[in-house]
Amino acid sequence: MEGRFSFAKLKYVFPPFQNGDVDPAVKALEARQDEILRKLYELKAAVEGLAKTVTTPDADLDVTVSSSLSSQSSSCAIFKGTTNLDALLGEDLGALRDIVINANPAQPPLTLLVLHGLLCQRYRVLSTVHVHSSVSSVPPQLLSCLGPKHADSYARHMFQLGFTLIWKDVPKLEMKFSVCNMCPIEGEANVARFLFKLLAPYPSDPALATLVDSWVDTGFYQLADGSTKERAAVLRALNSALGRGPWLSGPEFSLADIACYCCLLQNGSASSIAANVQGWMKSCENLGHFGPAKLLLK
Amino acid sequence: MSGVEDLTILCFLGITKESIVDVEAMVRKVEQKIESCSQQDVELHIERIFVISQAEPRLPLQLEDAVRPDGEGEEEGRATVNQDTRLDNRVIDLRTTTSQAIFRLQSGVCQLFRDTLTKKGFVEIQTPKIISAASEGGANVFTVSYFKSSAYLAQSPQLYKQMCICADFDKVFCVGPVFRAEDSNTHRHLTEFVGLDIEMAFNYHYHEVIDSITDTMVQIFKGLRDNFQTEIQTVNKQFPSEPFKFLEPTLRLEYTEAVAMLHEAGVEMGDEDDLSTPNEKLLGRLVKEKYDTDFYVLDKYPLAVRPFYTMPDPSNPKYSNSYDMFMRGEEILSGAQRVHDAQLLSERAQHHQIDLEKIKSYIDSFRFGAPPHGGGGIGLERVCMLYLGLHNVRQTSMFPRDPKRLTP
Repeated sequence: MEGRFSFAKLKYVFPPFQNGDVDPAVKALEARQDEILRKLYELKAAVEGLAKTVTTPDADLDVTVSSSLSSQSSSCAIFKGTTNLDALLGEDLGALRDIVINANPAQPPLTLLVLHGLLCQRYRVLSTVHVHSSVSSVPPQLLSCLGPKHADSYARHMFQLGFTLIWKDVPKLEMKFSVCNMCPIEGEANVARFLFKLLAPYPSDPALATLVDSWVDTGFYQLADGSTKERAAVLRALNSALGRGPWLSGPEFSLADIACYCCLLQNGSASSIAANVQGWMKSCENLGHFGPAKLLLK
Repeated sequence: MSGVEDLTILCFLGITKESIVDVEAMVRKVEQKIESCSQQDVELHIERIFVISQAEPRLPLQLEDAVRPDGEGEEEGRATVNQDTRLDNRVIDLRTTTSQAIFRLQSGVCQLFRDTLTKKGFVEIQTPKIISAASEGGANVFTVSYFKSSAYLAQSPQLYKQMCICADFDKVFCVGPVFRAEDSNTHRHLTEFVGLDIEMAFNYHYHEVIDSITDTMVQIFKGLRDNFQTEIQTVNKQFPSEPFKFLEPTLRLEYTEAVAMLHEAGVEMGDEDDLSTPNEKLLGRLVKEKYDTDFYVLDKYPLAVRPFYTMPDPSNPKYSNSYDMFMRGEEILSGAQRVHDAQLLSERAQHHQIDLEKIKSYIDSFRFGAPPHGGGGIGLERVCMLYLGLHNVRQTSMFPRDPKRLTP
């Protein structure tokens, strides 16, 4: 093999040695440096968090604050309540549980991308994107919409969940999981409900749960797919609902907010958005989960 | 020539079907398309006709019969031609539109294989077919007399591909005949077939090898989808099938996932059992149902069911760094990272109770610096058969060889 390399570069591959051991003084210095840097980051995050308190309700739930403190916060408290993967997905058979989503590249499912991001914070998720042979090509941002390849993706069994997105010429978005025990789930609204339940249970109060569901349907069928008149009506309804509380279903952030925000984003924000809706959109953005959706629309 | 009416005139003149003729004619445009011809927009108004080669009047088979789909025309007493008759009269059978399409597509597969690998920096090599020892062990080798002693016909280019890697060629491929003396009379076995083999050194992980192979396969599938639609449709007219579907990048599942899917479907098998052919087919259907792909890779096979030169999985001794690839639920490639350390190789061979003397030259190849490497090989005929959704590999082999057939 041809090539030159300088010994000067090699020097930095090996730690400085003294009497066959790492110099303890150097070690101590490095440790102090790490500690100082860590404290600085914490301070920075705390100041940012304080700044956001002024504009966002639930700033204590602001993910950008909590994520900078711990690299993988399994206690990501954005949603309260516990979920049981085995109860939702069936018995663990000792292999990767792979959720397959077939989506048409002409209508990227923004809500599902946001939910994917949230799932990655809660579980170890192996995300892959494929292009089906029924589609000749897709723009590059659709190929990278689930983020960079995980370093451990060569070992599928090390992950709790698989999220396999296939860009395919399908009339309607569909999700497949266990072909023997589950029929496919059709439509972005229904798949969103399924994925959300892996993050948190619906509110136990049936009235509240129905309200969440109602907003999800409104978002998908009227905000995203409806006529201009319908969209205008929904925007007015959003405005009045958001006058009563910070989030659509009341005091807590829910699937309703995720779905409606994404559907609003999808057909391009109307020129005139009422004050409450604008404030709510800003709050959503501050939570930091909608990055993947916004990236796709650029 | 076109139409029944014109053939009748020619027969009247004494020119038999399938004869080769030269004509001097006026080429005229027609308003209505001539459906029964491949050139549909012009007509020949013949002024002079010369017979270059007269065909015998009684043909062993009629081309219209040979191209008829199974089941069509049965009530009117019109026959189809059975496979043995076709193969016995292969020269005429190959003239059918279906056969022409199949083998033009096959030529395309070879071309795409070569072009894709060459673009990836692979070097094409030629390996010997007359060898001194059975490379894979086992009894499925043909013996040939070699001057005063005997030799064998190579079961695969495995040994030589690996020697090329040890000879610093980094990435190689070869296209050549493979001989298997297996007395299997099935729809998918031949005693001689064309092997398309790949071997490459990798830098960090054997998945680089899998990725190269699967990308090559995807480029072949795309090339066929985009440039050979006419041929595919022609074959489908006689042999209807579902179009071939695939994902890019290729789907890769782990063996444990396959076992889990089969368990869910009610199959009883152990974690370290090999997949039987019916299980492979069932798995193919389950994968098709879930992912809608006719092509996928199964990675991390149990070590116990793989050949002695397969590299064990360093993180789990039960499994190996080996993989199979499937098209429409049938295996088309068995590959792996190879053991490149002479010491480990000897241990693995002894574990499989193989006489080290018999494979001495193989082990010797790795004693003087050998990079980590892996590869795999596919059968051209089987890949074409499965791509087109055909059901017998003899349809995609021009002059097939099996335990019962040595001619033409």
